[in-house]
Amino acid sequence: MPLVDNNKNIMISSSPLVVENLSFRYRDRRGAAIHDISFEANPGEILLIAGASGCGKTTLVRSINGLIPRSYKGEMSGRVLVFGEETTSWKLSQISQKIGTVLQDPERQILGTKVLNEVAFGLENLTVPREEILERVDESLAFLNISHLRERETFTLSGGEKQKVALAGVLAMRPSVLLLDEPLASLDPASAQDTLDTVRFLADQGMTVLMVEHRVEDVLRINPERVMFMSEGQIRYLGELSGLSKVVNYREVKLPAEDIIERAKQDPAPATLSILPGAADRSHETLVKFEDVAFGYESGLDVLHGINLEIKRGDVIAVLGPNGAGKTTFVKHAIGLLKPKAGRVLVDGRDTKEASVAQIASTLGYVFQSPSHMLFAPTVHDELAFGPKNLHHPSEKIEQEVKESLTIVNLSDKEQDPPLALSFGQQKRVSIAAILAMQSRILVMDEPTAGQDYQNYMNFMNSIVQMPSFDAILFITHDVDLAVIYANRVLMVNDGRLVADGKPHEVLHDFEQLKANRLVPTSLLDINLKRYAETGRFMRAEALAHFQSL
Amino acid sequence: MLVSWKYRQRKSIIQWVDPRAWLTFYGCFLMSTLAFWDIRFLLFFFTIALLVLFNSGVSWRESRRAFLFIIGFIFFFAILTFLTGRGGSEVYEVEHVIREYKAPFSILGWVPTLKITVERAFYAVSQFVRVGSIAIMTILIPYSLNPALYGITFKGLGLSDKFAYAMDLTMRFIPTFARDFQLTVDAQRARGYELEKLSGGIVEQVRKMGPIFVPVTIHAIIGSEDIIDAMDLRAFGVAPRTWIDVLERHTRDRILIAFGVIILLTSIALGIMGYGDFWVPDVLVKLFL
Repeated sequence: MPLVDNNKNIMISSSPLVVENLSFRYRDRRGAAIHDISFEANPGEILLIAGASGCGKTTLVRSINGLIPRSYKGEMSGRVLVFGEETTSWKLSQISQKIGTVLQDPERQILGTKVLNEVAFGLENLTVPREEILERVDESLAFLNISHLRERETFTLSGGEKQKVALAGVLAMRPSVLLLDEPLASLDPASAQDTLDTVRFLADQGMTVLMVEHRVEDVLRINPERVMFMSEGQIRYLGELSGLSKVVNYREVKLPAEDIIERAKQDPAPATLSILPGAADRSHETLVKFEDVAFGYESGLDVLHGINLEIKRGDVIAVLGPNGAGKTTFVKHAIGLLKPKAGRVLVDGRDTKEASVAQIASTLGYVFQSPSHMLFAPTVHDELAFGPKNLHHPSEKIEQEVKESLTIVNLSDKEQDPPLALSFGQQKRVSIAAILAMQSRILVMDEPTAGQDYQNYMNFMNSIVQMPSFDAILFITHDVDLAVIYANRVLMVNDGRLVADGKPHEVLHDFEQLKANRLVPTSLLDINLKRYAETGRFMRAEALAHFQSL
Repeated sequence: MLVSWKYRQRKSIIQWVDPRAWLTFYGCFLMSTLAFWDIRFLLFFFTIALLVLFNSGVSWRESRRAFLFIIGFIFFFAILTFLTGRGGSEVYEVEHVIREYKAPFSILGWVPTLKITVERAFYAVSQFVRVGSIAIMTILIPYSLNPALYGITFKGLGLSDKFAYAMDLTMRFIPTFARDFQLTVDAQRARGYELEKLSGGIVEQVRKMGPIFVPVTIHAIIGSEDIIDAMDLRAFGVAPRTWIDVLERHTRDRILIAFGVIILLTSIALGIMGYGDFWVPDVLVKLFL
């Protein structure tokens, strides 16, 4: 099987989508973002597009949906044909009737105040009669099983609901081709599975679906007809699913655990992780304590109820739970950004109501979910030095902290670049490095891997958990495997309550509980549970490949 | 993502009428209030504003921040004008001194003096009532108008599709900006940044606000680009829009609009006839002659 479809002169056909020798370079960048891309997508097909951050996936999507060259300027060559017609001269409105796009973050796509207005938006713009709009809106909502959301305000929806509403708005326009740009990035596992089932159903109805996604293993469950693997703006593999694992490095793309184990057997055994080496030989003292904490916003809705918890030295805690469960509200209490309505939170024995956030920050570093809310400095170096300067670290120490942090997130070559000019994935890593540089004893991260490619986030997670300066780490994630690989303790939060707290195998072996908390067992969790009697702990797939019981 | 104001359905006059009628009435109220400095007329508008406020169903708890901010703002400027006498000198020429306090020192021959006059006191009260009336009526709008109807309301007021939708987005930009601002402040505080401890001169302090202003501004720009992309991808602006929300005018709406227009025309007529200028009770003036 050829690694790349080398047929550069695809015949113009009635295929829903043909891309011919497509190249594009952004006006303000040096190299081409995509180079000589050619492929054809068929009706009823799901084409999964995978690759590392910055490999050109999003540029390809923009070139197909017409945002390139209309909104994003640069040099473009090659052609995009929709049902045999070249789209270069088409207006965006024409393209949008044939090609529907769901952007990576539904928050960036939703415009309507209410779900009804949001789903109707495209049809209103096309001057479709009102009665027909209402019919088509109801049809789309019913199709996605979200009719009950019709009158809800969009900003009150959970992440999964927003994703479905964004999809409903596109489906109401009845496109022939659906482009999905990382649709699972912000979803809890159960919502992701719902979305994938819907996508499979749409393809089975004859729609052509192009899905850009980092979470390859999740998408494999719905058997995409073909997979495209991109690297440095080019197609490295285009073909059937079965061929992917043979040509792609299992460290670059997250494959099913069985495949990784099979492949990893041929490689040397990975080094054993030394988790929190700085906390290993010290007492199991309490660092953060939640005492019967309750919280509610001014609107009157209670978000947290009776949280009791101690974070101890040596803990690496994964916080799991559905979208909107109160996970972020919970961790914001630890740094004092939110103060409890009832109960109290103690950090190093001090009530957060009596300390400023800045004072707590020297003990507890908090990485926000979105990097765009914090990046401001002219260079990455200055961005990373900002926190340590605020904490009055000596200047020589700051230089060392900046360098070490950049190495951990693999951005040493970007030290003098403006952080705001970096890709989203790189910005996220800068935001993590900015907190690492503060050398706080406790690290709290809110979805550190969202929008990151597999290889990058595994590398920085490996480095972070092995940093000797941390006494404890806590991270919020939707990725069950992250909890399996790195956590020695798992918290499950749902509806503002702590519903489970224990060692990973204690919390994650109960599949009924996982289901109730919108989590889905992964292949790695499955294998770890099966082999737990033999291994006595959870391990990554590469380590399992080399594990031999005594 | 754009967020909306804290709207909810209430039993109130504002929500009983069509939003177009209310905005028309609000426009008439605004222009009429601005036509007067005479506190006797201004009290009429203040009374209307209070009646609307107490009927609005907006609780103190939900609107506390907005009202405290605006009351503080108006109070500050009223006091400032009262103390300095600036601003009021455009509407009165003679001042009748109640008390005068002179500083026990001079600066290059100038002795700082605080004059409390009848005119300054009445001007401050008039200013408070005038701006307060407008502020009350303005604050109630986001709490009372359904955000889902912003677009069709402005369309119904005669704006084009593009402008009407732009107004819709603009109305929602303010609470969105406030949310983003708070998120940025939180993110920087978590990095040890203390907004309340900024030191140095004004220029230096503004420079030190960079960690807040830069991300908020960049986020707003990126957010605008996202909105444009999202609109383009769903064919916005290519043809006249269908608006799925429908507004209907009732008799009560016509009555309200007529009431607003009558108030406006009367105000204009009174202005032409020479009424409505700054007024001070004669009895007070005589008292301090």
